[in-house]
Amino acid sequence: MVRKPFKDVLTHFDPSWIEHGYGTRFQGFQNLMRQRIRDILLVSSLYDLYVFEEDGRLYELLREEYQKLMLSHAPEFTRVSSGREALSLIKEEKRFDLILISLHIEDMNATTFAKMVRESGLDIPVVLLAYDNRELADLLRRQEATVFDRVFMWQGDFRLLIAIIKTLEDQLNVDHDTRIVGIQSIIFIEDNVRFYSTFLPIMYLELLTQAQRLISEGINLSHKNLRTRARPKILHATTYEEAWDYFKKYQEHILGVISDVDFPRQGKYDAQAGLMFAENVLARRADVPILLQSNLPENEPLARALGASFLLKTSPNLAEELRSFMAESFSFGDFIFRTPDGRIVGRAQDLISLEEQIKVVPEESLRYHAERNHFSNWLRARTEFWLAHKLRPRKVSDFASMEELRQDLIRSLREYRRLCQRGIVTDFNKDTFDPNTSFARIGGGSLGGKARGLAFVNILINNYNVQNFWPNVTIDVPAALAIGTDVFDEFLEENNLRSFALSCDNDEEICRRFLLASRFPERILGDLAAFLDLMHAPLAVRSSSLLEDSQYHPFAGVYHTYMIPNNHPDPIVRLGQLLRAIKRVYASTFFQAPKEYIKATSYRLEEEKMAVVIQKLVGSQHGDRFYPAFSGVARSYNFYPVGPQKPSEGVASVALGLGKMIVEGGTSVRFSPAHPDHLPQFATITDTLHNSQRDFYALSLAEDQYHSGVEDLQIKRFDIRVAEQDGVLGFLASTYSPENDCIYDGISREGRRLVTFAPILKDKIFPLPQIIELLLDMGSWGMGTPVEIEFAADMCRKPYEFGLLQLRPFVLNRELEELTLEEVPEDELLISSNSVLGHGVMNDIYDIVVVDRDLFERSRSRQTAQEISRLNAELLADHRPYLLIALGRLGTLDPWLGIPVTWDQICGARAIVETDFKDMPVSPSQGSHFFHNLTSFSVGYFSINGRDALGKIDWEWLNSQQPALQLNTVKLLRFDSPLTIKINGRENRGYILKPKRVDP
Amino acid sequence: MSQFVQEFMAEVKAKNPNEPEFHQAVQEVAESVALVYERHPEYRRAKILERIVEPERVIMFRVPWTDDRGEIRINRGYRVQMNSAIGPYKGGLRFHPSVNLGILKFLAFEQVFKNSLTSLPMGGAKGGSDFDPKGKSDAEVMRFCQAFMNELFRHIGADTDVPAGDIGVGGREIGFLFGQYKKLMNCFTGVLTGKGINWGGSLIRPEATGYGAVYFAAEMLATRGQTLEGKVCLVSGSGNVAQYTVEKILDMGGKAVTLSDSDGYIYDEAGIDREKLEFVKELKNIRRGRIKEYAEKYPGVVYTPVDPNLPYNPLWNHKADCAFPSATQNEINAIDAQNLVRNGVYCVAEGANMPTHIDGVRIFLDAGILYGPGKAANAGGVAVSGLEMAQNSMRMPWQREEVDARLQIIMKNIHKTCKVTAERYNVPGNYVVGANIGGFIKVADAMMDQGIV
Repeated sequence: MVRKPFKDVLTHFDPSWIEHGYGTRFQGFQNLMRQRIRDILLVSSLYDLYVFEEDGRLYELLREEYQKLMLSHAPEFTRVSSGREALSLIKEEKRFDLILISLHIEDMNATTFAKMVRESGLDIPVVLLAYDNRELADLLRRQEATVFDRVFMWQGDFRLLIAIIKTLEDQLNVDHDTRIVGIQSIIFIEDNVRFYSTFLPIMYLELLTQAQRLISEGINLSHKNLRTRARPKILHATTYEEAWDYFKKYQEHILGVISDVDFPRQGKYDAQAGLMFAENVLARRADVPILLQSNLPENEPLARALGASFLLKTSPNLAEELRSFMAESFSFGDFIFRTPDGRIVGRAQDLISLEEQIKVVPEESLRYHAERNHFSNWLRARTEFWLAHKLRPRKVSDFASMEELRQDLIRSLREYRRLCQRGIVTDFNKDTFDPNTSFARIGGGSLGGKARGLAFVNILINNYNVQNFWPNVTIDVPAALAIGTDVFDEFLEENNLRSFALSCDNDEEICRRFLLASRFPERILGDLAAFLDLMHAPLAVRSSSLLEDSQYHPFAGVYHTYMIPNNHPDPIVRLGQLLRAIKRVYASTFFQAPKEYIKATSYRLEEEKMAVVIQKLVGSQHGDRFYPAFSGVARSYNFYPVGPQKPSEGVASVALGLGKMIVEGGTSVRFSPAHPDHLPQFATITDTLHNSQRDFYALSLAEDQYHSGVEDLQIKRFDIRVAEQDGVLGFLASTYSPENDCIYDGISREGRRLVTFAPILKDKIFPLPQIIELLLDMGSWGMGTPVEIEFAADMCRKPYEFGLLQLRPFVLNRELEELTLEEVPEDELLISSNSVLGHGVMNDIYDIVVVDRDLFERSRSRQTAQEISRLNAELLADHRPYLLIALGRLGTLDPWLGIPVTWDQICGARAIVETDFKDMPVSPSQGSHFFHNLTSFSVGYFSINGRDALGKIDWEWLNSQQPALQLNTVKLLRFDSPLTIKINGRENRGYILKPKRVDP
Repeated sequence: MSQFVQEFMAEVKAKNPNEPEFHQAVQEVAESVALVYERHPEYRRAKILERIVEPERVIMFRVPWTDDRGEIRINRGYRVQMNSAIGPYKGGLRFHPSVNLGILKFLAFEQVFKNSLTSLPMGGAKGGSDFDPKGKSDAEVMRFCQAFMNELFRHIGADTDVPAGDIGVGGREIGFLFGQYKKLMNCFTGVLTGKGINWGGSLIRPEATGYGAVYFAAEMLATRGQTLEGKVCLVSGSGNVAQYTVEKILDMGGKAVTLSDSDGYIYDEAGIDREKLEFVKELKNIRRGRIKEYAEKYPGVVYTPVDPNLPYNPLWNHKADCAFPSATQNEINAIDAQNLVRNGVYCVAEGANMPTHIDGVRIFLDAGILYGPGKAANAGGVAVSGLEMAQNSMRMPWQREEVDARLQIIMKNIHKTCKVTAERYNVPGNYVVGANIGGFIKVADAMMDQGIV
């Protein structure tokens, strides 16, 4: 079954919200202004250039201005002086986004050049930059200017260049950006080159300054930068038709119109075109502010009569008046509360003060603004599209009273502010931190792999509104506070721990010294105390190292996690407990396991830095225990697929209580989310009794005793019957009745309780498989690689809570992607099979335990089992992992069909091969008898039988080797160089190569 | 091997090629009844052995069903109705990919004699399918069971053939099979055993094997004028059989001092009393922990982990009177047998299947101790199946005590059959010969009585 991509699953969304990005809030901003003008070819004579940059500082000024306005990427200029030179450069380098040409170039005139550019099929805008002289007038009169994309007039202000670039960029991006977040546009109609060359720089300056003001309201730095991209666009038109097209296309998103009065309409000058345009616009959208400008004062009353503003082009204060119109009418600047008679009754600078004002302004003012969509306009201009979009359709008439409207506005604003925090790593602020949902950081430096993964999945969950996708379950990333790596560095420096920690090889000693270290950065202490003030739930203090979750070397599980009850009445004590946990996590950076682990990678421990994630623990309190109903991990790939399962459908392991059970390889329930009904580990009653969880981990809420050891003493093991008393087991268990020799799902009958997850997986009381499928899909889509997730769920309250604790890339060995047999010479191949379980490369196996095919007798298979057991014990004692080659069904219940070994008798085997008997084929067990052990210990399992045409085993070679030890039917082969075992778990293929011959 | 057996086996092999399991089972029976044949020329004339190796009926059928993805699957179903001389066919159904005709014939053949030995009116049969329950959903298992019964129903019945569970067929499968049979026949009868307690199942099923082994041991001891009272007993294993063995030993006044699991064993010189037994039950059945914890809980208990390099099992090397191997196959080898005899053990009752290696059996027999082979001593499980049929026929369920009392009577009868037969064939006290021949003779005589059918 091919799974649908997750976006297809999210059907109950209003698709237009995804399309328009309202549902994604400012996340869509990243994708705005994608088309940029970065490389400009300036074609001009030296003289023209001199005219443009009288003081010689044109580029510098331009760069400074870009910086000042916080615009990214100041464009690069390349100047040539001849048309021919320009043409060859354009063709060769193909990097130019814009050609600026002056009237004078060396070898041809500008129009000829522009025509040549067009004729050569190059799709680069050509803009003529002229200065005010007769040549330009002639050109315009002869209407030769149409060959240029735009004509501008240089009046000595370098900001014209910015305006040129920005108008072109706006034109390129308007379509896309309107679609993505509903960006707003101003239609600017002006056919006079000199006027628009003056107006555009003023308008852009105003827009960019407004955007800059909004930045201060950004939630974090990257959010701030993104907001500048969401400023309104200017759509410059020179004719009525052009302008009207814009209006029709972006009608809903037009912020305002600034228009000349006389300009071409239907191919000829129309002295009233602007008035007509204004009238038509207002007929469709009465709330659009319009500014008409003209050289003729007599147009003013006509404009006013239509309800438009008016500006005299000859006014000495033209620029200032234009700016003030934009600020006021386009809702740039403060929101000014007025009464219908124009009296100012309030002023708001930002969302918080808007909310404050809404609470107090008189009803008439509220009505005045609400009726005219002023609130949504103001919000839009401030790039709060999502909120604006939500408010827009609400009409005053929808509300029974103005008071109700007032409350609705306040509620919407609050909700929106809360939403803005959600899914984003904010800088920690005790006033805004929500102890249920927020994800904040303190301290500089990196957040580390875990926090990064969490922050990312938090964004995905919030943007795609996955939280409430299922009615009875909330999906979230539990509230967390990340401490940046700078704090780790500071802590090490101030306490002078680094060189000690790097050289010490005693974990207990490292832990002890770190706990004794008394200096902790002051400002962090304040924030942590404030955090604990808000957060009263038990906490997990997790490592989040720089290298953790690195794509190529997963450090998952190398570092420690500590949990604290966080329930002491004295806040100082709680802070102390938290600090100890943080120090322990810091100390774990230097424990032996990571030191060993890092040796095997290309990194050096000195490069490793530790951030810390302090996260609210998912779960509920039961007596003096705290634990989730279940925890689990899930991966995009299942390397041990059985029955209908496929590798690509992923796999999950879940267990009652804290996730430590799974991390430590304890008993869990393994299932493929696509086939939750098929649980191979519970195929028979014996299997179920054997392979189901007996106890679970919970956080003890009893007093956190000070100790200097490495172990987390707060986590304790409990019998699953405790969970029954706590009312948790019923969600996850089945019951075995020995009298009836039967397992019944649920715990309504008497008998032995077994954690099978049947109520969830079969009776569907919790949409776990669906959630996992969606999150795996979403995660791999978002990360662009297969992923692994960790989660925990609490079912003691409704809605149930599903907390995502980790999202990380799931590393697949790349070497195995291209695993093909063709490249292996026939004589080097020992074994190949198309029916292999497991995944990975092994090249540290020097021993083979092989059952002699000629000496083996089916009637004496028990003896063979004993012999294998004996060799297993010896190899285990010598720490020599081995390859086991057996006949028939390994671990069979029926001794006639294979070798009836138990797992203990073969537990030293790292890879197992089962093949046919010499005299008869037998359907392979494919490891089913040891399934749980195979998956827990990642054992490779090859099945070779007559039906698999590609399965091969070189018996001749095996028989020709001198055994190191020969028993009756089993022999041990030992080699000086290792075997090479490769398994591609995505395709269940693999092979084993003979040891390389060591030359004497 | 006598010439008769040789010739007979050659024919069996020629007629049933590629069934080595079946050959071996037949050969064992043929060899053990060679003596009988000498005494009973009428058996030879009636070709009892030749007839007994030929199933009365073999049903092989198609089992098509639809998996959860809507794909059609086809398995092969079997029922080997081996012998109905002394009662309706009775024997388990096995669902396992390894199932084939040869294996089922072998199992059905052994079942004939096992059932006969219980003294209950049960013939022998075996059935099943190559269906692999591994990785199947409940719904798939149900659909398969229904499809399987859609054919099997016409060949079975409370008075014809009463299948039971076996590997891959537990309470769930019996339920699905029974439901479909009832629907097809519109008739609620005891057509299957292993049913739920609420709908025709019998009590004392989990206890039957352990209790039975102890009853058998008590009968053996009685032949020497002794009881279990005060006897020190070595018990291996810690599962159902071992637990109920210890329980019955306590009931009868004995003292069990050992228990084991695959990691090691405990030796409790003070004896496993009822409280300690309750702890073991909870440990093993509910917490599913290791027996080592017993030694951690009770002072004075010695725990010995398994040492794979040791050529013997130290559990069998303690001073004791009785031994109840209740763990696995081949847990007593020649050295263990010698150790037992040397430590004064004079009564061994096998609760497990074939726990004693053939060399060990020889040592027991040579030493002349009371040795109750599994074939006889662990027949308690089969016996309770028979009692389930009886209760179904009466439409009257029995209380625990009633079932237990009847179990005890059956074990007594089995013991008596073995003992009397051994004496009749001049090997008094040899329960191995007694069991092998006793089961055979009952079937053979019935076949004689019923003519050439």
